[in-house]
Amino acid sequence: MGTIRDNWRIFLLVLVLVGSLFALFSPTMAEPDADAPGLASSGATNLQYGLQLSGGTRIRAPLIGVTATEVEFGGAEPPQIERDVADQLDGVTVADVIVRQETETTGTVEVTADGVAPDGLGTGLDEAGYAYGETRDGVTEETRTQTVDILSDKINEAGLSGGTVQQIQTPTGGNFILIEVPDANRQRVVELVNQRGNVRVDAYYPSDGSYDQTTVLERDDFQSIGNARQGGEGQLPNVPVVVREDVAADFQGRMVETGVAGQGGSRCSYETNPNGTDACLLLIVDGQVVNSFGMSPSLAASMQSGEWADDPRFILQTQNFSGARDVAINLRAGALPARLDIGPDGEGTSSFIAPSQGQQFRTDSLLTGIIAVFAVAGVVFLRYGEVEVALPMIVTALSEVVILLGFAAGIGYPLDLSVIAGFIAVIGTGVDDLIIIADEVMAQGDVNSRRVFQSRFRKAFWVIGAAAATTIIAMSPLAVLSLGDLQGFAIFTILGVVVGVLLTRPAYGDILRALLTR
Amino acid sequence: MVAFEVPEIDYTRYTNRQLAAVPLAVLAVALLIIAGWYVATGVPVDPGLEFTGGAEVRIAVDAPDGEARERIQAAFDPAPESIRSVPTDDTYILTFQTDETGVSALEEQARAAGFGVESSYTVSPSFGSRTQMLAIGGVAFAFFGMSALVFLMFRTFVPSIAIVISAFSDIVIPVALMNVLGIELTLGTVAALLMLIGYSVDSDILLNNHILRRSGGFYESTHRAMRTGVTMTLTSLSAMIVMTVVATLFGIQLLAAIGTVLVFGLATDLMNTYMLNLSLLRWYKYEGVAN
Repeated sequence: MGTIRDNWRIFLLVLVLVGSLFALFSPTMAEPDADAPGLASSGATNLQYGLQLSGGTRIRAPLIGVTATEVEFGGAEPPQIERDVADQLDGVTVADVIVRQETETTGTVEVTADGVAPDGLGTGLDEAGYAYGETRDGVTEETRTQTVDILSDKINEAGLSGGTVQQIQTPTGGNFILIEVPDANRQRVVELVNQRGNVRVDAYYPSDGSYDQTTVLERDDFQSIGNARQGGEGQLPNVPVVVREDVAADFQGRMVETGVAGQGGSRCSYETNPNGTDACLLLIVDGQVVNSFGMSPSLAASMQSGEWADDPRFILQTQNFSGARDVAINLRAGALPARLDIGPDGEGTSSFIAPSQGQQFRTDSLLTGIIAVFAVAGVVFLRYGEVEVALPMIVTALSEVVILLGFAAGIGYPLDLSVIAGFIAVIGTGVDDLIIIADEVMAQGDVNSRRVFQSRFRKAFWVIGAAAATTIIAMSPLAVLSLGDLQGFAIFTILGVVVGVLLTRPAYGDILRALLTR
Repeated sequence: MVAFEVPEIDYTRYTNRQLAAVPLAVLAVALLIIAGWYVATGVPVDPGLEFTGGAEVRIAVDAPDGEARERIQAAFDPAPESIRSVPTDDTYILTFQTDETGVSALEEQARAAGFGVESSYTVSPSFGSRTQMLAIGGVAFAFFGMSALVFLMFRTFVPSIAIVISAFSDIVIPVALMNVLGIELTLGTVAALLMLIGYSVDSDILLNNHILRRSGGFYESTHRAMRTGVTMTLTSLSAMIVMTVVATLFGIQLLAAIGTVLVFGLATDLMNTYMLNLSLLRWYKYEGVAN
């Protein structure tokens, strides 16, 4: 019994090690969902790798927009205010203005168009006759949450599996959106998230010698949106949709009225001859006409007879398949309330790593780590010359890394280059502390009694504790500040120091005692 | 078979003034370099891409080195600001200090020229300057936090300030070396500077602890502390040298940057701990306490 009580630190270390190995290798601990968000799992272990080691795209950027708070509505309804504000600002459409009611008579007004400064919004509100509290850069919490949800939907709808979108906040109060998509090409992700994705269908029809254009279908008017189809056999790529029952009759009526569903259908030549075409339907994404089309005679006939509204199916044609895919994604996920500030003069950052490069980094950084461990081991063996001292030292330092790896696998923390750097730093500080223990314990003559050992060990521990405290203090800013890539480095260095001081370094003391006081 | 033993230095041969003069002179030179750099360029150390904004693209080129560089020069508009080759896998790391061309355009140019895009990275200037503020704040916080902790632990002025000065010098000298050798300040080097605060204080604390809190003569305690402390620093130093070399060969910039700065810092720390800190402690032990 005495053995266990005397060497409980070693037993605890072994126990934790076994637990870590279990977390690392046990198939029962593996994520049930093979593509957990944002991560790629590797084969043999339960470790998950971040983008740097698995490949993919990461975008971090704030949302474009300015906000006015405590705006006095003065009896006006939000849609009216949106129109009033949009009218006052250059280059701003109603879709760029969001009014959120907070109390009976006040709320916030956000403008999410590019190039509007807080002062500009202030002036606009003044001119529109609305009193307000203050204006600032940035959008509201609701808008951010909504944007995050829609972006997630968009990425899922686009079939980019494992993508994540989240909000991050810097300690200085900045708000960023962080998008991570494994395996995906940067351009594809940027194109996807950079679109506001506002889809509508307008009717373009002759009236009184010129042409009129009115919106006939918007996202809310669809009951279901099908998958994009390739087309073929004289048909363009398209998205089949079903119009909601309660608007179907109205839409049908307007088709007949405007002449789109005219006698014998309509033939659209909007692109080549906009001033002499039959009535057309225009498919518009973010204000750009992406396609124009007429109506087939049979569909037009069923609209005229009123039968169509009983089975309100419709197709939205596009020029090419990728266009059809984008329209389907945008219709399902919805339009973004605000855009990400990426691009040449934006405020964001983006990175892309090819999957092959990620794989390469994975093996290379593993090799680097192993070689660093060998260097440490070499110096330690040279210095002590006794295998009894040096070998447990290396084994103990490595066990710290195993525990940290087990921890990373257990909580599903994605490994990145910075985490690997953290592991190397942990081995460095770990071995330093073990050297302190070894030198202290073996100083001045043999360690023959347990009491001598204990007192020397305790002395060594004061230095180790002090050094650990300074390392934790030095690393804490990185762990908390969102300096992005370095958070993992700091977190794992701090964790390593904590695990070392509480668990592995005391255990090394026990191992050394067992070997020296025999 | 003890292959090496930390040599015992006969400190009695040198006065405190002599001992402190060398590290202080080096520190002064380092401060001069940084000050000069500040006057000449407006910044104490050249900030890298992550802080200034710009783009970095890593491409695979299937051609011998000279030809590859020519093809790279011809392929991109604007021309890359720097081209660095990664020896192990035929890739090149290009940086562009430009905000006109988006990185998407650069990727397209690379693909059009038949290069494989291995990775790309872009930071906007305003995001970069925000990161820079955070990084500077982080280093400052870490340094003052460490100083406060040291004063709390030793509760006497001279030994505590000796550690703080050593740590300060351990950071300043690598920064000056970065200027001299043209290494830019990146997130990796910032991490290394923070790590240095933690690493360098270890051996100083050890030395102070042995001299102030243990029985035994000053020189005996010093020698014992040195045996342990020098071994510690040498172990870390060897690990970091190896890591720097290997990571550079593999083109893993983050690890290479961390390694390089830590190598400078740890080497500096050997000098500072056993010359500057030691002389201050000896003065304190023999003359400071008597007053």
